[in-house]
Amino acid sequence: MIGTSDNGISAAPALVLRKPALWRRTLFSEYFILYLTAVYAAAAWSFIPGALSVENLSNLFSNSLPLLVVAVGETMVLITGGIDLSVTSTIGLASIAGGLVMTADGGLLAGSGWAAPAGIAVMLIIGFAAGLLNGIAITRLGMPPFMVTLTVMMFAGGLAIRLTRSSNVYHLPAVFHGAAAPAVMISVALGVALAGHIALDRTIFGRWLYAAGHNVRAARVAGVPVPAVITGAYVISGFCAAAASILYTARLETASPVLGQRLLLDIIAAVVIGGTSLFGGRGRVLWTVFGVLFVTVLDNSLSLMGLSNFMLLIVKGAVVLLAALLDAVRRRAAER
Amino acid sequence: MAPHRAAAPAADPPPAAFARAAPALLESIPALMLLAVLLGFGAAAPRFLSGQNLLNILIQSASTGVVAIGMTFVLLTGGIDLSVGAVMLLTGGVAAKMALAGAPLWEAGVAALLIGAACGAVNGAIVAVLRIHPFIVTLSTLYLVRGLGLYLTETRAMNLPPGVLQFGSARLAGIPAPVVLLAVVVVLAHVLLRRASFGLQVYATGHDAEAARRSGIRTGRVLFGVYIISGVLAAAGGLISLAQLGALSPTFGNQREFAAVAAAVLGGASLFGGRGTVFPGTVIGAVLVQTIENGLVIANADPYVYPMVAAAIIFAAVFLDSARLKKIRRLRVRRIRPATLAQRATDA
Amino acid sequence: MSLLECAGLTKSFSGIRVLSDVSYSLDSGEVLGLAGENGAGKSTLMNLLGGVFAADSGRMIFDGGPYRPRTPRDGIEAGIAFIHQELNLFPNLTVAENFLAGSRTPSRFGFPDRRLARRRAAEALAALGVPVSPDTPVERLPQGEQQLVEIAKALDAQARLVILDEPTTSLTARETARLFDALARLRASGVAMIYISHTIEDVLRLSDRVLVLRGGQAVASGLTRDFTLDRLIPLMVGRALGELYPQREAARAETALEVRELSEPGLLDRISFRLMRGEVLGVAGLMGAGRSEMARILFGLERASSGEITLNGERVDRLTTAERIQRGMAFLTESRREDGLLMNASTRENLSISALRSLSRFGFVRRGQAVARTTEAARTVELHVRDSGVAVKTLSGGNQQKVALGKWLVVRPSVLILDEPTRGVDVGARHEIYRTIARVAATGTAVLLISSEIEELAGMSHRILVMSRGAITGSFEQSPFDHERLLAAAFGQGAGANL
Repeated sequence: MIGTSDNGISAAPALVLRKPALWRRTLFSEYFILYLTAVYAAAAWSFIPGALSVENLSNLFSNSLPLLVVAVGETMVLITGGIDLSVTSTIGLASIAGGLVMTADGGLLAGSGWAAPAGIAVMLIIGFAAGLLNGIAITRLGMPPFMVTLTVMMFAGGLAIRLTRSSNVYHLPAVFHGAAAPAVMISVALGVALAGHIALDRTIFGRWLYAAGHNVRAARVAGVPVPAVITGAYVISGFCAAAASILYTARLETASPVLGQRLLLDIIAAVVIGGTSLFGGRGRVLWTVFGVLFVTVLDNSLSLMGLSNFMLLIVKGAVVLLAALLDAVRRRAAER
Repeated sequence: MAPHRAAAPAADPPPAAFARAAPALLESIPALMLLAVLLGFGAAAPRFLSGQNLLNILIQSASTGVVAIGMTFVLLTGGIDLSVGAVMLLTGGVAAKMALAGAPLWEAGVAALLIGAACGAVNGAIVAVLRIHPFIVTLSTLYLVRGLGLYLTETRAMNLPPGVLQFGSARLAGIPAPVVLLAVVVVLAHVLLRRASFGLQVYATGHDAEAARRSGIRTGRVLFGVYIISGVLAAAGGLISLAQLGALSPTFGNQREFAAVAAAVLGGASLFGGRGTVFPGTVIGAVLVQTIENGLVIANADPYVYPMVAAAIIFAAVFLDSARLKKIRRLRVRRIRPATLAQRATDA
Repeated sequence: MSLLECAGLTKSFSGIRVLSDVSYSLDSGEVLGLAGENGAGKSTLMNLLGGVFAADSGRMIFDGGPYRPRTPRDGIEAGIAFIHQELNLFPNLTVAENFLAGSRTPSRFGFPDRRLARRRAAEALAALGVPVSPDTPVERLPQGEQQLVEIAKALDAQARLVILDEPTTSLTARETARLFDALARLRASGVAMIYISHTIEDVLRLSDRVLVLRGGQAVASGLTRDFTLDRLIPLMVGRALGELYPQREAARAETALEVRELSEPGLLDRISFRLMRGEVLGVAGLMGAGRSEMARILFGLERASSGEITLNGERVDRLTTAERIQRGMAFLTESRREDGLLMNASTRENLSISALRSLSRFGFVRRGQAVARTTEAARTVELHVRDSGVAVKTLSGGNQQKVALGKWLVVRPSVLILDEPTRGVDVGARHEIYRTIARVAATGTAVLLISSEIEELAGMSHRILVMSRGAITGSFEQSPFDHERLLAAAFGQGAGANL
């Protein structure tokens, strides 16, 4: 790479600076995924009856908000260069644990006024614990994130199913259902996203997180408390998964051990398509918001089109691939 | 005047005999774990260690083993193939439909392998040419291929013609067919990996793709190749499994990618690439994974507990492996001066 | 006829001209020394030759025919071996296997002849005098021997032209001598070579002809015997350098760092010394003497089993690295690429990363303060970058080192440990780094300067300690320093110890 003119010599004729073409700016913009989503929505929804109905739009939102919550946590983990595969099982386990505490059918605090708050607390604690387990195994025991979170996923998933022998838990307190109210959902999702954004953008924790993702050894030398920071990322991820579980469970009005099972592609795709790198060191909550929007709009339009289950899988897989492709092409072109 | 620079110090004092033997001992963690698990379950249920049961384990692990061997090639390059389970479903579906339509079994088998290769080629092309992270590529193709598979099988279960089960329980010189197939794959893969240029290039690319490219290795071809191998072996593993089940269900192949990765990693393959073997590594890993499942059944464990026990054992194995790597790295650190007083006396 | 003839080579990246109309030629058995600062275009010119990328214009004629490589493989097959700075070896394979990977050993249907490869590896290694068995896994070899293996590979591939890019940076003096021996042998057999090195003395010693690049242009070329160091440096830098080493101010009387009986079996033996404020204490020694290990222990990256480390009157040997940084310690590591910089992060981020705690309140980073302090540090290290938001991996080696150093200045340390601060840095940037060190010491910071170049130590230090095999074998108080006795102490011999 050519050096700069720090040795007092002009190295090359100065570049004539011109504002790059509009299409260039759009393609390389941070908001690209948002534009893409808008274009797709406009195109697809104009052909689908009922797409723009209030019912559908509110459905869309109630799908995207919990997904955003768990995706924010996953973004943090990806920034450290790791991955958290256990979030889907954490959602299920938290759901069941909370349900068992809250349910009127012989739950621990059945009928008590404390049932709902206690249930919520238990769910959050489970998320916290799962994250802590992941974090400690990765930082103190030096195990690779993929394998650690995979085994935790297997374990938590198995535990959730074992606790209720595959059945769901019903009759949750009415107060708990309040969590499904749009106002509550929006506040929680917005709150988590905002907190995540501020943490990454403004706090020392955020700077440390990026540093650990760029180069763990250099971060350590620079004085970054790497084990604490990485563990923190996984704890946040577990916590976000638990929070998402609260929203999902409340919406479903049922605690289910397999609640998060189908979500893995959606979560990872949302984060990666948004622009966060799987290699670490790069990612923003804003990007994840766009990614979540993209995935939910896609999902919504596909199910509205009445596609059969397998067509859904095929199209989704293909679209996610295309989006990743597009992202890679953009990234490479921008570097040139 | 040339700047004075350091000259080489005298040779290091020879490491203690234990320090020399330690790496060798530590290398066989997978084998030790397998032994431990076998003994553990044997203690819980004596008939676990019967010859018939041990043979059963080997037969049952053939399918996972074959898929895991394909996964090993991909892991060696530092990538991952999450679509193998879906490939098993799609290729199994194709073979099943052909067999049910009356085609000879070998034709159906070949068709399955070819489709597996095609799926692998798609993965490989995208990873090698477009250089997108294998995780996201194979996660997408997982959904794509599973969708295709479900479409093909119309999401219904299919009973396969009796010839299939016959093949599955056939024996060649007294050895069950699945084990023979596993052995054939192991031999071919081992030769390819350790004897052929391709294998060297795989290890080189996995360690550092940029350095490999600079050495003149066509890393694109290498990446393309390993994903094709993974696709073909996924199909092969699926066929072996079908030969034992006699039926194809819509959930066939579900989560098998994780079992394959677990088997390879337990066998010593590194997720970062450049490290791992097919034999004994992955084979031991696959047998270990199968042993756990078999052992839990024999010990009459609560079926709901299976995933938890399996997860705990895999966790322990990965932990031991990580600890081993750390220990090896520390043992290899060059000693600058004699470590003990006795050696110090001779040094002066 | 010349073996290689290049005319009018031009190359641009993203609109920036990196090479302008460079022409040169080379005969068989001839060594061309390529000199120039970082960013002058040396690597680019060689990358064109090696086939890493193609020129925008100009032509190359190799061995009588037009040469237009599109990939490194083309270069290798044409008979051009490029020995890079970052070794192209695979540690997870044996030496012989490395010879096989991508080389021209014969193979049948994709199965390499391993026995032949082992024999050829053994021959090439013997020709270079490298006492290594071809079955050794490369990861078990020390850096210096790995480099020799790399060169043996080129020998074996029967290259007609060998490009050596900074081959001696990690070699000991004995290994360097062996290398030069081997190069002489290569040359006698008719192989042409292009030799790039920051060690200008080596370039002058080895080459027949010299080509000087500056700013992408060839500013001088000719027979080596017509060039001297004094003539070369101004050509490379574009200005007279004057004194290389800046004036030293006197050290102060307060102790900043005191180390007592620091020991770790197998690594360090009762290391004791005192570092005063405003002092530059040089640490000399052979490679592998334990200096970097000592530095890492001082900084808290590794543990010592016994001994005391006292920083500004406070015992710190039980504290973590982060805690030591907060108490005023800083450490510029040996390899900026490995653990000194966040390569993909921006200059701004790299400069601020160690000082974040002091730049934050209640966990929130105070941007204004961060910008002010990092700008100040950048000025102190004389760092000029066009855009502090781009990743540091795009900067030249000298600028990268300045960023790595600069981040420690933001912390305003009372003790600054430097491990090979000018490694891989061109002449101009070196001068600036020396000035920075002197400036920093003048403000009262205690500097521990670890270096393998005795000239550098002699020029910069108030005192010099010498380490050998994990122990301090000499202490030299006064400048001018006796280089011979310094070297003797480094070998662990002689009455060099003023202990």
